[in-house]
Amino acid sequence: MTGDPLVLSGATKTFAGFTAVDDLDFTVPEGSIVGFLGPNGAGKSTSLRMALGIMTPDAGEARLFGEKPGIDALRRVGFLPEERGLYKKMSPVGTIQYFARLKGMSANDARLRAFELLEASGLQDFARARISKLSKGMAQKVQILATLAHEPDLLILDEPFSGLDPVNQQALEDLIRDQHRRGSTIVFSTHVMEHAERLCQSIVMMARGKKVFDGSLEEAFGALGRRVRIGVSGGFDLSTALAGAGYAAAPDPSEGAAGWWHIQLPQGRDAQDALRAALAAGAPISGFAPEEARLRDVFISLAGEADAAMADQPGARSTFAGAAE
Amino acid sequence: MMRSIYLVARRDYLGYVTAWGFWLGLLLTPFFLSLGIIGPALAASQTPERYYVVVDPDGALGPAMDEKTLDLKIDVIEAQIMALGALTGDGRKTAATFETAARESGDLAAALTAAGIDPETSNIEIPDDDFIRVEAPATTIDGLRPWLLGERLLDTPNGERPLFAALIKTDEGIEYWSENVTIGTVKNIAERAAISLARTAVFTAQEVPFSILDDVRAATPEILERKVREDAAQAAEVTAADIAPTVVSVAIAFTLWMLIFSVVNYLLMGTIEERSNKIFDTLLTSVKLPHLLAGKLLAVLAVSLTLMVFWAGGGIGAMTYAGSALPPDMSEMIAAVTAAVLKPGILIPALLSFLLGYLMYGAVFLAIGSLCDTVQEAQTLMSPMLVLLMVPLFMVFIAVSDPTSPVLAVMAWIPVFTPFLLILRAPLEPSLWEVLGQLSLMAVATAAILWAAARIYRAGAVHGAGVNDVLHWFKGFLPGMGKTKAG
Repeated sequence: MTGDPLVLSGATKTFAGFTAVDDLDFTVPEGSIVGFLGPNGAGKSTSLRMALGIMTPDAGEARLFGEKPGIDALRRVGFLPEERGLYKKMSPVGTIQYFARLKGMSANDARLRAFELLEASGLQDFARARISKLSKGMAQKVQILATLAHEPDLLILDEPFSGLDPVNQQALEDLIRDQHRRGSTIVFSTHVMEHAERLCQSIVMMARGKKVFDGSLEEAFGALGRRVRIGVSGGFDLSTALAGAGYAAAPDPSEGAAGWWHIQLPQGRDAQDALRAALAAGAPISGFAPEEARLRDVFISLAGEADAAMADQPGARSTFAGAAE
Repeated sequence: MMRSIYLVARRDYLGYVTAWGFWLGLLLTPFFLSLGIIGPALAASQTPERYYVVVDPDGALGPAMDEKTLDLKIDVIEAQIMALGALTGDGRKTAATFETAARESGDLAAALTAAGIDPETSNIEIPDDDFIRVEAPATTIDGLRPWLLGERLLDTPNGERPLFAALIKTDEGIEYWSENVTIGTVKNIAERAAISLARTAVFTAQEVPFSILDDVRAATPEILERKVREDAAQAAEVTAADIAPTVVSVAIAFTLWMLIFSVVNYLLMGTIEERSNKIFDTLLTSVKLPHLLAGKLLAVLAVSLTLMVFWAGGGIGAMTYAGSALPPDMSEMIAAVTAAVLKPGILIPALLSFLLGYLMYGAVFLAIGSLCDTVQEAQTLMSPMLVLLMVPLFMVFIAVSDPTSPVLAVMAWIPVFTPFLLILRAPLEPSLWEVLGQLSLMAVATAAILWAAARIYRAGAVHGAGVNDVLHWFKGFLPGMGKTKAG
């Protein structure tokens, strides 16, 4: 089996008239870490489920390692679903061993691997306890271990940081890096952009079932362009003042940011140039802050404010505050 | 393929048999079953002796009632002899020998011995003396009232006891006095005795010789049950070998019914657990859906077989331990039953019916479980299935009384009932085309049900379809219920 670990070509999925995923194309190259970004309902999970053969696309196709997603190809894949769950009456060691054996490992190898992983994760004392007796975070760890017990070539993690406290989120980031160093290709979906910023080499962004961006992080930030934030007093109109110098300025809509403007930096100019132009235009400067681009901003610019707001909704899973519950 | 089926089956099987509920069922089911079987007999044996008195100036009613009490016991024992004799073919002769000896001696144990039955080792039970006639402490109802009300007690060989009933013969008739009006045994015995006495009196008055009754009895021809056999040279007497196929087929059909009925919970709970715990996605990226279903069905079948092996082993062990309880002709019965089980005409349809029937119903329960998040939801969908499952049970009862019933012949063609009815009708040796036709229809129906169940399972497991989706789907078929209101 050769070919890119994961390819979706023109994949479309419709549920009762609602198009959850619309003509999606993307390729996950071998050895990469790809972030699959978008707000809830953007079609991320449906896309991943199509990629894994759990759902059949209404149009287009999915390929794993160059093949249709059958059991042989899936043996090289570790999948952590968004809706997590385990057999509550089984033990962690039994659970990891069971799923590893389903992926083709021998009983003995699977058992040894289960103990090894549990020890490495500090869960050795709970190896034979019932899953129902573990905390939610511990159970989630067990499921993650079960996902990678068979050392998959492709690791697909659907909202893996959901439900984890900050310490465990960091531990999971480390684990993802470890798996990548081992040689595994990794795809993970999230609507918390910070994880993607720290982990990914490339990202796929989705909104309302459609792909809105597919490329490297650098390309994403490049798409946004660089900006600077300048504060002025006395209701000065910076937009009009800078228009003649070739700068586009817009007031900062954030609460408590009255008098602050976002200035888009044209190619070849930097923040200091913009400040000089503002002073030259007679602007009463009250503040100056060069802006570092964030993925969220990229997403806003690509998908629109409404979708970005959905990603930041208090009810949306996996926000930092929600994770610490 | 086999590996993933084995792994799923193994996990599910171990999950079931390590649950305390399994052991509870394993131990309590035979206990309650035994209680159901032994209970009535135990209740009968624990019935207290009841005492009655007869006030009869002629002095004939009391002895006549004693005679009728003995007759009742003889009838009960004869019925037991006939039931056992049905397996060996000589029940009638043995019963006649017993009756003659019992009437001559009045000693039932000795009469059994005379008939060639060891009262100690046989399964035949001699009824207890539940109603005993004693001397009346008074001759009027006023005089007897304190005893009948329990204010005074009778002095009996078993100690002081209350008086249960009193029969007082008057010119107008026989008065039956008792505080208890629900137990009518003594009254019935008195009626029989009175008829007997009246008959004797009338015969005597009419100068009809009493022996005429014996002559009538002697002249009545005996009905000899014979079985028509293809080989005329074979003995025509009905034996255990003739009855065993029916017994075996009823037992297999009932076992299949019990199996399906008992696995409902396992299949439902197992699937509901997976759905509510959201394990499906993980499973479906590790094992193909048909293999998952096959593993689950196999696991529950193994659980059922484990239960049966335990129960059968326990039963055989208990019977062996209580060796004296085995009837002397048990070996003949076992041989006949074994021969019937191994008969290809029964064995092959039974095995196929067993397998297809289990798959058919098991797949339905799996599909139902995959649509439900809770047991309460499952009950909504299970109710019609349980009603459907009661039908074959009624068919078993019909088959016991009349295996040739046209109802059975027609219903055997309905695939959901075929597994049971094909087995029940096997002893009738239906024509080959009929058996093959029903088997084929059942196989096609099983395949269709498995296909549909897999699709429903996928809908439940992958798309999260639920009970309401099923109800909406059904409503779509009902006129006026599937339409959305305008506006």
